[in-house]
Amino acid sequence: MDVKLVLFGIFLLFCSSHAVLENEAETLVLLDNLAIRETHSIFFKSLSDRGFKLTYKLADDPSLVLSKYGEYLYKNLIIFAPSVEEFGGDINVDKLTQFLDDGGNVLVTGNSNSGDALREFASECGFEFDEEGSSVIDHLNYDVSDAGDHTTILTTSKNLINSQSIVGKRDSVNPMFYKGTSIIADKENPLILQILNGHSSSYSYNPNSQISSYPHGVGKGTVLIAALQARNNARAVFSGSLYFFSDEAFTQSAQFAQNEKFFKKSGNQDVATALSKWVFGETGRLRVAEVSHHKEGENKPPSFYTIIEPVVFKIKVEELSGNTWKPFQTDDIQLEFVRIDPFVRTTLKKVGTTGVYQANFKIPDVYGVYQFKVDYDRTGFTHLYSTTQVSVRPLEHTQYERFIPSAFPYYISAFSMMIGVFVFSFVFLHMNDEPGSKDEKKSKDDKKSQ
Amino acid sequence: MNRPTKLLNRKTAGYSSLITFAVLLLAWLSGFSSRLFAVIRFESIIHEFDPWFNYRATAYMVQNGFYNFLNWFDERAWYPLGRIVGGTVYPGLMITSGGIHWILHALNIPVHIRDICVFLAPVFSGLTSISTYLLTKELWSPGAGLFAASFIAIVPGYISRSVAGSYDNEGIAIFALQFTYYLWVKSVKTGSVFWSAMAAVFYFYMVSAWGGYVFIINLIPLHVFVLLCMGRYSPRLLTSYSTFYILGLLFSMQIPFVGFQPIRTSEHMAAMGVFALLMAVAFLKHLQTVLSKTEFKKLFIAGALIAAGIVFLMVVLATVLGVVAPWSGRFYSLWDTGYAKIHIPIIASVSEHQPTTWFSFFFDLHILVCAFPVGLWYCIKKINDERVFVVLYAISAVYFAGVMVRLMLTLTPVVCMLAGIAFSCLLEVYLKEDNTVSIPKADETDEPAVEKKNLYDKAGKMKRPRHDNSHEANGLGSNLKSVVIIAILLMLMMFAVHCTWVTSNAYSSPSIVLAFHNSHDNSRNILDDFREAYYWLSQNTADDARVMSWWDYGYQIAGMANRTTLVDNNTWNNSHIALVGKAMSSTEEKSYEIMTSLDVDYVLVIFGGVIGYSGDDINKFLWMVRIAEGEHPKDIRESDYFTDRGEFRIDAEGAPALLNCLMYKLSYYRFGELKLDYRGPSGYDRTRNAVIGNKNFDLTYLEEAYTSEHWLVRIYRVKKPHEFNRPALKKQERTISSPSFVSRKTIKRKKGYIKNRPVVVKGKRANKK
Repeated sequence: MDVKLVLFGIFLLFCSSHAVLENEAETLVLLDNLAIRETHSIFFKSLSDRGFKLTYKLADDPSLVLSKYGEYLYKNLIIFAPSVEEFGGDINVDKLTQFLDDGGNVLVTGNSNSGDALREFASECGFEFDEEGSSVIDHLNYDVSDAGDHTTILTTSKNLINSQSIVGKRDSVNPMFYKGTSIIADKENPLILQILNGHSSSYSYNPNSQISSYPHGVGKGTVLIAALQARNNARAVFSGSLYFFSDEAFTQSAQFAQNEKFFKKSGNQDVATALSKWVFGETGRLRVAEVSHHKEGENKPPSFYTIIEPVVFKIKVEELSGNTWKPFQTDDIQLEFVRIDPFVRTTLKKVGTTGVYQANFKIPDVYGVYQFKVDYDRTGFTHLYSTTQVSVRPLEHTQYERFIPSAFPYYISAFSMMIGVFVFSFVFLHMNDEPGSKDEKKSKDDKKSQ
Repeated sequence: MNRPTKLLNRKTAGYSSLITFAVLLLAWLSGFSSRLFAVIRFESIIHEFDPWFNYRATAYMVQNGFYNFLNWFDERAWYPLGRIVGGTVYPGLMITSGGIHWILHALNIPVHIRDICVFLAPVFSGLTSISTYLLTKELWSPGAGLFAASFIAIVPGYISRSVAGSYDNEGIAIFALQFTYYLWVKSVKTGSVFWSAMAAVFYFYMVSAWGGYVFIINLIPLHVFVLLCMGRYSPRLLTSYSTFYILGLLFSMQIPFVGFQPIRTSEHMAAMGVFALLMAVAFLKHLQTVLSKTEFKKLFIAGALIAAGIVFLMVVLATVLGVVAPWSGRFYSLWDTGYAKIHIPIIASVSEHQPTTWFSFFFDLHILVCAFPVGLWYCIKKINDERVFVVLYAISAVYFAGVMVRLMLTLTPVVCMLAGIAFSCLLEVYLKEDNTVSIPKADETDEPAVEKKNLYDKAGKMKRPRHDNSHEANGLGSNLKSVVIIAILLMLMMFAVHCTWVTSNAYSSPSIVLAFHNSHDNSRNILDDFREAYYWLSQNTADDARVMSWWDYGYQIAGMANRTTLVDNNTWNNSHIALVGKAMSSTEEKSYEIMTSLDVDYVLVIFGGVIGYSGDDINKFLWMVRIAEGEHPKDIRESDYFTDRGEFRIDAEGAPALLNCLMYKLSYYRFGELKLDYRGPSGYDRTRNAVIGNKNFDLTYLEEAYTSEHWLVRIYRVKKPHEFNRPALKKQERTISSPSFVSRKTIKRKKGYIKNRPVVVKGKRANKK
């Protein structure tokens, strides 16, 4: 962590012109054919303007490599090659999933005829592309430019996921063009985000054949763009439409064929840009900069806590903005004090605008090994998870109170007894007239009892 | 041995003490040296399980001082509950060895604390034999005392708990027990406050050393009670018991672990009741001297009724209000041997809590077990106050030893004492000839006086056998006598041989290092897998790594690997152990949930299938299931782990729940590939003599981290949740079936394939679709 911070500082000194962190700029773009580079030039240009270094390769290029000597050459990967059946060179599905598991970000687009390689890779991430030849069809919300099978559909911003860090300002987004297949997302998978859905009137099927079976995507359940944020915070976005990112979709004006609502510019460019920012880690990235805890009135963490002590816990959360880490502002971070079960759960309070959040509470009256646990999992943001283990010990033998008020009767009785015995023995020894006779009697007793 | 002491008169008292001294010294030396087998064969190490904790605690105390030890909160044990060591331990052992360490260092003798711990029990065995001598001397005669001292020095029943390296509470507790009894007998005899106060002080030492102190605090009141019933009340008894009880009560409450138990639990109530009874009897005796007979009778009846009513009400009230805790489970299991098996599997699971077999009586005591009833008979025959005590001691100890193997230990001293008395009497009879004249002169002890008195009381009975004996002996001449004496000596020799043999073969294994003889070349091989694995843990894992294992190995992991454990041999929290048992007996997936909730980093299992070690985790597995079932009856059922015919088997016919549980998988992971024999099948378990039933499986949530040389210890790393980066869709879960994938790439041609892509062929026009 420290090394990272130092490197980060050095990096800040040297280049402040780029919007992305330099070590994350390397991007490989795999294409079906080099024409795509031209037809999607606006999208690529926005990336390179933001500092990404794009390397364009054909998807079947025999010289493809992702890593050399155990080091990845790229941090990000764009696959704009819907019909690739098998990647060339060193890349295959296993390598791609390994790339994801090692922290790389991936943007994948398919179309109605997605190749097997993409399907396999999608399955590894919990998605499927709909059957070959199928397209998303919407007979009510299609563009005027549609050729007649109603596959060039328009979908409005209310079908976008409600997360500013993924899609930008959702409400100001114009309707978006979409032409391609739908995505079937694994419902059991908790890491999947459905970014863009179809209208309630949309469904996914092969436009050239009779409908004989129930479509895989129907209504709002038709997923157009979906994302996976893996547990290591690597991100992967799958879109069923390559057209969504094309220059044509970016620049064309949109008009609903049915109610003839006209928009001068589609929302594709806005969403695609925001989406690329998210998937390549420019937005929605949080980190825990600093965690500290101490007893109230002190400022260093003790080696252990004692039960029922007041404790202060602070955590500093930062968000990546451009290429600098800035304080993150929110009010819903919670802290748990856990020993198998949470004993304390409290909302952290913001301290000024420094990104520091603080909680003051009293340690429960139970000893054990506890963890301060901050688990902040919000849509579109990095999963923040921070645990700090501390041990809470019982009172020492000197820490109990010396005199208990309720025991005073016993103290009094003990001391009065002692005084009484002393006085009695004093009287007994000195007021006795005939010590001899008593002794005799005593010895008699002894004999009898024997 | 006996003869010289009998021969003595006042002029030769010096010889008597010289012989006593020499015999005791020799007993100490032989006792000490026969306990050294383990050190000579292996090395100076701490043995087994509990001693590792005692050693760790002692080392902590020596390092950090007594007060830090008293307040020690061990966050590395019972994660995440932690354990207050100072309040849950009998500190006598640590204080004893810490004190020795301190004295030696004050004398500038630098001894490592480990060596003190290793040799503490053998040294204390010498003290035990001295205190046994003193006690037997008080009860019978110095000669019997010397016999008893020699017996206890080498008897296997005691050696089993006190070999070098077996650094456990019992090692010093038996000494404290014997010495307390000696002081108690002495105080009953003399009626002196001094001796009973001393008895209370040693009782305090015993309380600080071992939970077995409950035996003392029940046996002494029992003694008093029986004496009262026998009409043997005396003011001496009143003085000694009231002093002992009050002081002992106050002292015992000073030990943090004991705390308020002596006045709040049922185990200690008998002592209090006897105290009240004794007071009442004393009061009545006093009234008897003051009042006339008729008055006394009225008062007695009225008083008895009122007292009975009050006592009854008090007991009911106290129990209802919960002031007095009911008997704890361990004590129930002493009365009803089947109790633990049904209600508290965790007690029943310990092998030393099993009932004793006949075999082990002979194994541990040899000839003494035959001589012991003879001594008991002599004591009953010539009863007096202190012999009542030894009779009660013998009877109760025999009962308890029959219930639990472990309590053989409390039986051993009394057996040695009574056997000593028996042998002493035998020799007295058969060695008498030469010195019939000198016997009446040997009146140094009060024993002959008692004999005489008894003889007068029961003249008819006692005289005849004696006369017969001596007549026979005289009549048959010295030949028969020498035959008998030689027979006795031979038996004693055989006893000594047996003791040495048992000590060397059965009780001198440190159990963390195993040794076996190779029958081919007669060489001795050492299996050091335990230490190898613990050392691996200490060197290759993070300092705060949490290791889950069955509780038997908790202390060893903490002591040798210095890692955090979840459960250990201090089995104070049954539900936590049950949780670990549940994790071990569930499927991998379910146990992963438990393991993540407990933040487990490593799992350690003991597997003996490769070398045929029978004490491994699979053999203990049913106890894990039973303990887990006790707390989680919905999730774990013992019957699931048996086959339909009620067998516990690990081969292909075994129950599916067993073949898929975590413990099975961790034990047999990759074992199916292992061929132990060229001819035998692979995956053959030597401990259970079967080929395992579930051979080729993979672990999802764990990965093998380390397996020791003979596979005895296997350590697995639990994968963290973030290592399951993304839940992938498996083939059968997909809605759209995909054709099986065949790569078209070769080593030379690494080009991929894109469908519908126009292929450029030279000399042809591109085909447009």
